[in-house]
Amino acid sequence: MLEINNLTFRYGRRLPIVLDGLKLTLGDGEIGVLLGKNGAGKSTLFKILTGLERPSSGSIVLNSCNLAAISPRERAKQVAYVPQSVTFGDLSVFDTVLTGRLAHFGLSAGEADREVVNEILEEMGLADFAERSADRLSGGEKQKVAIARAIVGNPSLIVFDEPTGNLDLANEMLLICEMKKLAKERGITILCSLHNIYEAKELGDRFFFMKNGVVAHAGGKDIFTEDVIEDVFGVRINITGRNIL
Amino acid sequence: MKKKNTLILILLAATVFAMALFCLFVGSSHMTPGECFDALFRKGSASAVRIIYSIRIPRILAALIAGAGLSVSGLIMQTTLGNRMASPSTLGVSNAAVFGANLSIIALAGGFLTAGKNISFYSTGTNPYATSLLAFIFSVGSVLLILGLCRLRSFSPSVVVLAGIAMGSVWTAATTILQFYATDVGLSAAVIWSFGDLGRATYETDIIMLLVVLASLLFFILMSWKYNALLSGSSTAASLGVNVERLRFLSLLLASLITAVCVSYLGIIGFVGIICPHIAKKLLGQDHRISIPASALTGSLLLLAADTLSRSIGSGSALPVGAVTSLLGAPFFIAVILGGWRHRDA
Repeated sequence: MLEINNLTFRYGRRLPIVLDGLKLTLGDGEIGVLLGKNGAGKSTLFKILTGLERPSSGSIVLNSCNLAAISPRERAKQVAYVPQSVTFGDLSVFDTVLTGRLAHFGLSAGEADREVVNEILEEMGLADFAERSADRLSGGEKQKVAIARAIVGNPSLIVFDEPTGNLDLANEMLLICEMKKLAKERGITILCSLHNIYEAKELGDRFFFMKNGVVAHAGGKDIFTEDVIEDVFGVRINITGRNIL
Repeated sequence: MKKKNTLILILLAATVFAMALFCLFVGSSHMTPGECFDALFRKGSASAVRIIYSIRIPRILAALIAGAGLSVSGLIMQTTLGNRMASPSTLGVSNAAVFGANLSIIALAGGFLTAGKNISFYSTGTNPYATSLLAFIFSVGSVLLILGLCRLRSFSPSVVVLAGIAMGSVWTAATTILQFYATDVGLSAAVIWSFGDLGRATYETDIIMLLVVLASLLFFILMSWKYNALLSGSSTAASLGVNVERLRFLSLLLASLITAVCVSYLGIIGFVGIICPHIAKKLLGQDHRISIPASALTGSLLLLAADTLSRSIGSGSALPVGAVTSLLGAPFFIAVILGGWRHRDA
């Protein structure tokens, strides 16, 4: 279970507050979707969850473990990250996925790590691409490589930062199916930020509408009301009955 | 690591070794290969033995060490700052070293107000290491100051690059002011010092450079997988368990230390730190397990070749090796960038 309590953050002492007492709870194997305008604090929350930034105050507890109190390496074993635009610096698919075991092997990868990578590549249908440069794959395949890198370390939580941003409709659908499979079959908790509310509705179990650094509205699929959308995004749209599938 | 890559690395190492041997036989003294070979085993004339052991070997060692060090330093700068244009001097290290050396030559060797001394007096002073020591002190001080300031912004790459440019400008301005008040002779000596010259190398300076380069290289090689993670961006690297801030600090510090020690002893040797990592990456890819040794070998090779050329075409006196590295490397570099050398297909 992921529990975020009273999380606050600002980039500098004199800069405005970005997260202002954020609270969020997500059960094991649940998919939580973060929605909100640009600048609402979603990316900052992800930077804190992945360890790039330290919160000013508050706590993030994952499976009874306070993430702020453990080393970057231990945190990486529990939390994985899939960014919006994926770039791999010309590494092969195999080596890219192997970097997902970095927290486990430290300085040099062992045979056991390579075996796990081979299993994941086989499972994700990437075995044929293993020796190819990951940067030269298509957008959908790149996302698959990024997911393979995320799950190869066997994390409890995966954070997806607007993962469908660079994908066409077909690849968006495939990605959403893949994410649902991860949550259902592996029991991995997923926290994902999305801009498209129809995609969000299709993907998520719980929804968190962020505004001014806090979760302004949270709930299940019934949270998508015209009033909530207007409050968060400032526009009133008719969303009844629409679905992307 | 692919077998093909290992093979290319071995070939590259063999080429460096062959080039080093070739350099041993080339010089302005017009010794025949046979005389050089005899001198290597301490046979033949005393002057031939002295040329091989006191001039050529320290010079070749300096090219091997500084070439490898500057090239790897450039590679690490480019990776940690995520900037293809980053070089060993990105933090303004060379400018600081030049100021330190100018201070020693112009102000402390007595040339500030008086004239009439010869150039060698200015460039060496009473202690041959004084100029190098002052250059090193200023470059290390400058690096520590910049890294200390950048810590306030968590070593954000753009802040580091901009702070480096600003600090470099400060040292350049200070050097200009110093040179404005220098005598003609002092100014000449200061300018000549700034030309890269491997002829200044001695066994002592080689050992000091070797220790700094080897220790840094060992650290960089151990961190190979972390640098590979950094190729995917800071956020991804952090999520993979890399302490990005600490890695950036240590990498920038060690890469700048290599530059500081090389520039302080040999003067400015430009371009090796930019072109060699790019050539290595184009040939063998960006995987740091390969690109670190490949950059080191490419750097050694280019500097050896440039030094040999500078000694061969200088008609008695060697041309500044820094200029030759650019003359030799830039056209090749442009060819590589424009795709004349096909990018490896991983």
